[in-house]
Amino acid sequence: MKIRGWTIAAAIITIALLGSNTAIKQTPYVLAYPASFGNRINIPEDNPLTKEGVALGRSLFYETKLSAGNKISCSSCHLQQLAFTDGKPRSTGVDGVAGERNSMSLANLLWVRNFFWDGRMPSLEDQAIFPLTASHEMAQSMEVSAAKLKATTQYPAMFQAAFGSPEIDEKTITKALAQFERTLISADSRYDQYINGTYTPDSAERHGLKLFMTAPVPERNIRGANCAHCHGGPKFFLELFHNNGLDSIPVDAGREKHTGMLADKGRFRVPTLRNIAVTAPYMHDGRFNTLEEVLDHYSEHIQESATLSPVLRQTSNTSGSHSLRLTATEKKDIIAFLHLLTDSSFLTNPAFSNPNN
Amino acid sequence: MRYSFISGLLITLVTTATAVAQTATITVDGEVTTPLKLSTADISNMKKTTLQATDRDGKAHAYSGVPVTDILRLAGVTLGPRLRGENMAKYLLVKSGDGYEVLFSLAELDSSFTDRVVILADQVDGKPLPEGKGPFRLVVPGEKKPARWIWEVTGMTVRFAK
Repeated sequence: MKIRGWTIAAAIITIALLGSNTAIKQTPYVLAYPASFGNRINIPEDNPLTKEGVALGRSLFYETKLSAGNKISCSSCHLQQLAFTDGKPRSTGVDGVAGERNSMSLANLLWVRNFFWDGRMPSLEDQAIFPLTASHEMAQSMEVSAAKLKATTQYPAMFQAAFGSPEIDEKTITKALAQFERTLISADSRYDQYINGTYTPDSAERHGLKLFMTAPVPERNIRGANCAHCHGGPKFFLELFHNNGLDSIPVDAGREKHTGMLADKGRFRVPTLRNIAVTAPYMHDGRFNTLEEVLDHYSEHIQESATLSPVLRQTSNTSGSHSLRLTATEKKDIIAFLHLLTDSSFLTNPAFSNPNN
Repeated sequence: MRYSFISGLLITLVTTATAVAQTATITVDGEVTTPLKLSTADISNMKKTTLQATDRDGKAHAYSGVPVTDILRLAGVTLGPRLRGENMAKYLLVKSGDGYEVLFSLAELDSSFTDRVVILADQVDGKPLPEGKGPFRLVVPGEKKPARWIWEVTGMTVRFAK
């Protein structure tokens, strides 16, 4: 009797599942990250991660049908082996024309709250529409992208599995892409291994770490590069927008274009330094080819302006100077430390690669 | 009295609307009865307090500005006799134009709990705040680090801890 009761219940549930378009059948995707990264993560309530959604997003990330003429995919400007950057000063789209800014790394976006160099979008779902449709990027309307995917044998079933309906539109395309991007977690660099006690840094790396974390106080003979003030914490970025003194009159007004605030002139996102050794060239316009050039900038070439970050004003190892004034050895050691942030398991993780290869 | 002050603020907001688009304002929202968008002029019309406090340079300076609780009261935040019961689980999140955020529990700010007065300063030693830190910066006397002296304040949000 008891068994029969269960059988009936199971039958009812099965019928309910078959007859509904609810999300019941999806398998939750469990994110794994160090406790030190914190749980201030950015997942919209209407787009929880599921294994099916992540798998679909991964496939879409590498899908050239999302671009005009099927020429490029998200991965064309976000290559895994370069921590999802592209090695170019400014990325080129379907028309071969360089866009406005440097391709950003996609590592640890789960914790990012304002996307793009100017922070203009609050979620990955909103963010994705821009590169998909911009004329010098993938240059295709969301309607055309949806139609192309519908015409395939592969995608309607994948959307059904991910969202409970074979319907394909702007919402489900961007939701799936966002789900995949949220799984791109980098937390296994040699620095992490050092924190976990399984890697011992050499003396240059240790010296670089100390300089990275320390604010200079020349009056008390404390030397430092103060990098951690903005690039600190386990994720090596803070959710900040600063003018880092690249130009006294910026060609690209940066965040000011989004907010209209004069105080935001020349301000850009403080990017993560995780995997920084593989994400050259540097800055929003890719003006620096090497980390040496970046260190030279902060050490000797800070340009003053009304919106220059207060953190970079009078922060120096030489009293009264407006740049850091590091020695050649100090720069070399900081760069040695920065190399510890390269996470080779992230760069080669098969779960992030092109599923169709 | 309070209502006439608020309507005065509204008039100021309307008359300066075009200028506000490019210059600093401070929004006050969340668990408030009256959300505010204060212009520089609105704040300069409020009663000022001056206090001595020590910045990162290790030197004492005279900061003057508006007590944060005056702004919160204007927005109808539960302070004073109303700061009890579930309201003890409320916090104030202060935001900077550069994205930085710092947090206070309401009890840390309220004069029925503490004699310390946290101000939204617009002057230091009789002069406007230096470039990049103004026009408004919190001054939190008595703390060993000025990490909560958040500069370029653009927003204050009161919320219940979840």
